[in-house]
Amino acid sequence: MTVQRRRRRGDVMTYAVFFFCLIFFGLPLLWLISLSFRTAEEVYTSALKFIPENPTTFNYTSVLSSGRFQQYLLNSLKLTMAGSIGAMLFAAPAAYAASRMKFRGRPLFLIGVLSLQMISPLVIMIPLYRYFADLGLLDSHLSTSLVYMAILVPLATWILKGYFDGIPKELDEAAFVDGCSRRQAFLRVILPVSVPGFAAAFLLTAILAWGEFVVPYILLSEPAMQPVSVGILSFQGSFAQTATQILAAGSILAMVPAVAVFIALQRFIVQALTSGAVKG
Amino acid sequence: MDAPSGNAGDRSSPGTLDDTQQPTSRREGPSSPARARSAHRGGAAPWLIPLLVLVTLFYLYPAVQVLRFSFTDASLLRPTFTYGIDSYTRVLTDPTFFHVLWITLVFVLASIFFQLVLGLTIALAVQRGAQNNLPGTGLFRTLVLSSWVMPGIVIGIVWQIVLNSASYGMINSILGSMGIASVGFLSRPTIALWSVILANVWRGTAFSMILLYAGLQSIDPVLYEAGEVDGATGRQAFWRITLPSLRPVLLINLVLISIQTFNTFDMVLALTGGGPGRATEVLALRTYNVIFDSFSLGEGSVLAVIMLLLSLAFTLIYVRFLSAEERL
Repeated sequence: MTVQRRRRRGDVMTYAVFFFCLIFFGLPLLWLISLSFRTAEEVYTSALKFIPENPTTFNYTSVLSSGRFQQYLLNSLKLTMAGSIGAMLFAAPAAYAASRMKFRGRPLFLIGVLSLQMISPLVIMIPLYRYFADLGLLDSHLSTSLVYMAILVPLATWILKGYFDGIPKELDEAAFVDGCSRRQAFLRVILPVSVPGFAAAFLLTAILAWGEFVVPYILLSEPAMQPVSVGILSFQGSFAQTATQILAAGSILAMVPAVAVFIALQRFIVQALTSGAVKG
Repeated sequence: MDAPSGNAGDRSSPGTLDDTQQPTSRREGPSSPARARSAHRGGAAPWLIPLLVLVTLFYLYPAVQVLRFSFTDASLLRPTFTYGIDSYTRVLTDPTFFHVLWITLVFVLASIFFQLVLGLTIALAVQRGAQNNLPGTGLFRTLVLSSWVMPGIVIGIVWQIVLNSASYGMINSILGSMGIASVGFLSRPTIALWSVILANVWRGTAFSMILLYAGLQSIDPVLYEAGEVDGATGRQAFWRITLPSLRPVLLINLVLISIQTFNTFDMVLALTGGGPGRATEVLALRTYNVIFDSFSLGEGSVLAVIMLLLSLAFTLIYVRFLSAEERL
């Protein structure tokens, strides 16, 4: 009886937390969605109303039909793919070495990788801006994606190393017995069984790359080159006061790719995040 | 690990931590003959060099250059400069600098406090929900985590709209419908800082929640059973079992969210732009403004060096916590 009552009280408290957080986390998003379907008149006249009277998709079509926004999304896609895939290419061999080989300075290497992750990209952008300006590399997707890779590579290394650690060493050793070299063992035996680890590393770095702001903000001043994380800021500049409903639609379009990928594949991401961060 | 994950929406895997604990013990195990042989299969250098080159070019070298620039009077507008410590004296005697430090301190401390408390509360609720198969738990967790994957700029814009005093501001519309006069969440200096903290908590809580949730799942259920036998109430179990067991995760969490909050720049830029006045100009934003608005590379680099030193300090603390935990 008392156990049951205690249990029911616990359920009530759990739902109380859920309810409070639903409001705190959900309401701002709901408001944004609501704004994005309103007509201009309704944005500036109606009081508290979550469901628009005359819902319209006009805001979305007008954002998407401006070629500029499509270009932003495309640039984000390009930079994200290049940054994440590139980061994994650089990270994978190093992560494998950190997981399997003994070498001098290995602890220092691991701490170094970790500490890079703590440094704000803003700090390194200060000299990089100057050098890229001297070398004529501003407003270039190539140089920008190299910086993306450098920023994402610590996280990718960390996640991949964690995944390789979980693969039994016997697998490599069996490959050596079969006459494989280190490189062959890595390419033919370890890589094929590491697909979930790569998926996690790709997803997490891609989500970070999609939201990356400081690097493109400083390196890409040409609007046609900017990703949506930067482009949306100029949208804010031009629409915040005059057409909030358009800004709302743009904001939703800017966040949807990251959120959709996350929701679809959150199992991989959450697992990698907790194992990487908690267990080091 | 008896947390049932039968709820379709709950995609957590209770085995997560087990998987990652295995390698630690394996690494420390006795070395096998095959492993000794593998040591002869070439050095690690070729495997590490690509990463080291990338990181040196785009991370280490710039970081060192920041240090060099901090000892100059360089400007973005002039190609020439001379060396000296003028930039340091100018930054360190500028009252703005101390104001920015104060704002940053309040921003970081308040953010991490609320993120940890809220993150832990949600983690406990989600864990309880998952254990008792309460419907909606998985959906709820997804919602909280979604706020974390959004671009920081967009989060700033969302809250800029929500807190606005215009007719499209959500909070002021709600207040208005209750007959309360509108509040200048973004235009009153003291309130604006708390608005930025609120938005940052909204953004960062999910990260704390997910780490603490993983920490909760790694607590041995036997401890709770023993506590129940001894007649511990729910509250006692929380203070005597849950919190002490979470200590390492809490500490790591504390360091990680401190540094994340400390480096926050994009969200503040979109939300307040550092205003009104300098009321919400945190150190990262100040550093940007000094360099790219005032074009003062030397003084901006001094601020960047301070940011670097703080990152280094946080890293050292983090490594200590990590290695302390590894020894357990």
